[in-house]
Amino acid sequence: MTLKSPLNNIHKKIGAKFTEFAGFEMPLQFTSIKDEHLTVRKKVGIFDVSHMGNVWIKGKDAEKLLSLTTMEDSSRIGVGKSQYTTILNENGTIIDDTIFMHVDERFMLIPNAGQSKIVTNWINKQAKKHNLDAEAKNVSREYVILAVQGPKTRETLKKLTNEDLSNIGFFGCKKIKFAGFNVIISFTGYTGELGYELQINNFDDAEKIFNKILKSGEEFNIKPIGLGARDTLRMEKFFLLAGNEFEGGRTPLEANLGFFINWDNDFIGKEALLKQKEKGNYERLTALLCQEKGIPRHGCIVEKEGEKIGVVSSGTMSPCLNKGIAMAYIKPDYIKVDNTAEIIVRNRKIKAKMIKPPFVSKEWADKN
Amino acid sequence: MSKEVRDNLKYTDTHEWLKLEGENAKVGITDHAQEELTDIVFVELPEKGKKIEKGDELCVVESVKSVSEIYAPVSGEIVEVNEELEDSPELVNKKPYDEGWLVEIKVSDKKEINQLLNSEDYKKNI
Repeated sequence: MTLKSPLNNIHKKIGAKFTEFAGFEMPLQFTSIKDEHLTVRKKVGIFDVSHMGNVWIKGKDAEKLLSLTTMEDSSRIGVGKSQYTTILNENGTIIDDTIFMHVDERFMLIPNAGQSKIVTNWINKQAKKHNLDAEAKNVSREYVILAVQGPKTRETLKKLTNEDLSNIGFFGCKKIKFAGFNVIISFTGYTGELGYELQINNFDDAEKIFNKILKSGEEFNIKPIGLGARDTLRMEKFFLLAGNEFEGGRTPLEANLGFFINWDNDFIGKEALLKQKEKGNYERLTALLCQEKGIPRHGCIVEKEGEKIGVVSSGTMSPCLNKGIAMAYIKPDYIKVDNTAEIIVRNRKIKAKMIKPPFVSKEWADKN
Repeated sequence: MSKEVRDNLKYTDTHEWLKLEGENAKVGITDHAQEELTDIVFVELPEKGKKIEKGDELCVVESVKSVSEIYAPVSGEIVEVNEELEDSPELVNKKPYDEGWLVEIKVSDKKEINQLLNSEDYKKNI
């Protein structure tokens, strides 16, 4: 059974081409992936990401439960702030990457599409096991999630709220009145551009909000954006995609998330990570920029002089660079900026160079 | 949106078109196919001189999200490939029957052309 976003009818009306993703029928594109991609980099775009999850973490021990099941000590994340982190198995491999927002006395966790049940069950299992007075409540089917991203986002959104958005710091979150409706807004996103995300728990409200944002952004040439461009946008910024970068069991150390590990916090999976850190010698997620024409894809082998050194977890043609780009797990001895390798695409070997991510910098839109 | 089907071409049920010009046949993909593929960003063309059989993989056409094999409608030898597509793969979307042609094949068995669909039969397919 394929689920639909509550905004499915609007997408149909606007003329979306649909795809199936994590059990949901979602827009792949409206005009074209490249056009939508560049619109977000240069102007502003609106995404329906309702296929992602919403889970309340609440109760007396909510903070303790989050600190146990994610990598962060959540007592550091005060009300009005949010944190990007991962939820790990005992062996240190990633169950999901997620953002949790400290909204009021509760936290809202945003699991990836298709992961809400797994994440909710895992967290509740840990609450029971560790006798914590807290629970995870899966409310994913009650929320529409909209993301508005791009340099003209603030100008588009500020017309619809009295809230001074510049008072919400990066990764901040707040319950506000937006276009006359109650929403949770956060200064977060998956595109690397300035943007906000809105959690709306009334479907009629969400439809009206979507249309009002489209209207408000008209003067900035706002466009609705599909999952195709969402994927190329995040890849250019070297952001992870659940299912690609965590396939087969990867740890945060391998996935380049060391920055988000709070070693002073005691979390599930920490012991395994400490062991891995001590041992060293683990594959690491690396950015590869193609030096020849061709498009690397998930699963493509990476070679160095005929020897396999890694595998591509995500690959595409970068709409900004017009070059193939790949995120690949590579054996540590071969990883160094400017090192070259060959990505095997069908029966061709495409020369690629290791670079320091991201593929596309913050300044790209100013220069192009 | 109606998709263009030209009457003077032959077709396959895998959405390739063929135009016989003397001994050689030009091959491309139909308007229907290019629309399904959405924006084409890369075309991997075969080597000139390569010998192919009807039904073999002729070349690969890629959009951002998908990789599609294009099949040879007839057997023969590849005598020309559309080098314009290296820098302008979007020609396949914009002019699938004209500037967006893919390869030219020296046909080894003209009888194979009679096995292809005419425009009326192809229209029923889409």
